[in-house]
Amino acid sequence: MSGRSATGRDTRSDALGRKPSNHALPAAAGLGLRAPHVSHVLASHPPVAWFEVHSENYFAAGGPTLRALERIRSNYPLSLHGVGLSLGSTDALSRTHLHKLARLIARVEPALVSEHLCWCGVATRHFNDLLPLPFTEAALANVCAHIDEAQHCLGREIAVENISAYVAFDDSTMSEWEFVAAIVDRTGCKLLLDINNVYVNSVNHGFDAERYLAALPEAAIVEIHLAGFEAAGRCLIDTHGARVAPEVWALYRKTIARIGPRPTLIEWDVDIPAFAVLEAEAATAAAFLADCDAVAA
Amino acid sequence: MAIYSRTIRANYRNAVSATYPVVRRIVGASLFRAAVDAYVDAHPSRSGDLNEYGDAFGDFLHCYPPSAELPYLPDVARLEWAVDEAYRAADGALAPDAVLGALSHVPADALPHVHLGLEPSSRLVASSFPLLRIWQVNQPGYDGDLRVDFTAGRHCMRIRREPNARCSECDDSGIMIERIDAAHFEWLSAIARGATLAEALERAVDTDPAFHLQTALQKFIGDGSIDRVVHAVAQVDGMETSVTGLKAPRD
Repeated sequence: MSGRSATGRDTRSDALGRKPSNHALPAAAGLGLRAPHVSHVLASHPPVAWFEVHSENYFAAGGPTLRALERIRSNYPLSLHGVGLSLGSTDALSRTHLHKLARLIARVEPALVSEHLCWCGVATRHFNDLLPLPFTEAALANVCAHIDEAQHCLGREIAVENISAYVAFDDSTMSEWEFVAAIVDRTGCKLLLDINNVYVNSVNHGFDAERYLAALPEAAIVEIHLAGFEAAGRCLIDTHGARVAPEVWALYRKTIARIGPRPTLIEWDVDIPAFAVLEAEAATAAAFLADCDAVAA
Repeated sequence: MAIYSRTIRANYRNAVSATYPVVRRIVGASLFRAAVDAYVDAHPSRSGDLNEYGDAFGDFLHCYPPSAELPYLPDVARLEWAVDEAYRAADGALAPDAVLGALSHVPADALPHVHLGLEPSSRLVASSFPLLRIWQVNQPGYDGDLRVDFTAGRHCMRIRREPNARCSECDDSGIMIERIDAAHFEWLSAIARGATLAEALERAVDTDPAFHLQTALQKFIGDGSIDRVVHAVAQVDGMETSVTGLKAPRD
């Protein structure tokens, strides 16, 4: 763990002002950075181990938004998390979208680039939402071909994230965890494990979340996401608008005890609270990571 | 499925609200929501980049019956789209001296055939309404006289992002909206369309015979609006060879 301060902040930028390592995210607690907190982070340099932003929010060709991200990148490791590439769609991947993503990657040199295991549109119509895939051989072949294409086009590995879903397809011939594991096996991509999404789906679709987590290829897990859900009747909705639930913390603890500490992100996207609330959530994750380190030592 | 439908609607409402705060302020939250929902049905998103969504909202409002009582509303939306595009545009790079230098190297007989280029954030919007005034009285924090004189006539505006964020005339995001005279507007519009200097001059003089080319060049090169000079240097075997006299680096 040399090179990290007690807060997990990467301190390796040298006297020449070179950026923190872009080879990997620290196995520490990071925060999803959203527009309302950018100026605070720039002004006060809070001790956060790393930040993640939505790639599309920085797809502009130039301007102040992008300059702010470059300044943040000069102080923190950064992860780019895409919401619009639509890896699971039967439409061809958008070359324009890939080009903008490649341009942003060249500009900020992120430690990690991730996308969602979903489709966002079909027949050129985009829904700008993360829609679930049927877990079939055809959908698997299609999404794997798109991941191969994206990795080839971007010239780097990407991580893919499991999503939450409110419908399940009768056509599915395998479980979600078999589907996810097969993608990693076939494409060599990495995994962004969203434990909240696993929990939400386990309630919505009636499976054992621990069984799902145990079935994933643990070496491929390069990042963990945690967020809050809200209940609507018997259905859980992954709103990213609340604190992480106790059940999700429990799954997180068990997971890192088994696979070891991983870069862990707190996501909060609607009704965004004060930065201190996010820092408190990150501190909880950091405490679990420290327990995990202590056990390992 | 209702969850998906709700989320998708909310995503578009949020995205379009962020781009069109003045339209929203003028019509109120509920009419705005209804207009956005109707727009989404009429103009489905084609891109995973929501920044680019909403470009046709002004044209849509022009034919949207509930906003018929507000004939200036489509122009307000067009201005807001121009502001949004200016905010996201590539950074310009060239200094005025470099552009003037390039222009001075063009032989006199080639000058009419020169093409100029506008810096990436420049946008031009004209309205038959006093659009800049409507814009100003609908800014958050405005507490002055709310009256708008609708007989004030046509407003021609130039929108750009100031590289110097401390500029006194621009808003927090560095966007400057400036009213320019009609001949300057026609001249810049012609340049933006790729017209030669001679063609642009003709458009400007048609609008106002008093148009003065030297003044326009000084003003718009001096403030960085014109950042490229492209001219033909040679005619070889009847084939015109274009070279870039100066070109700002683009992404």
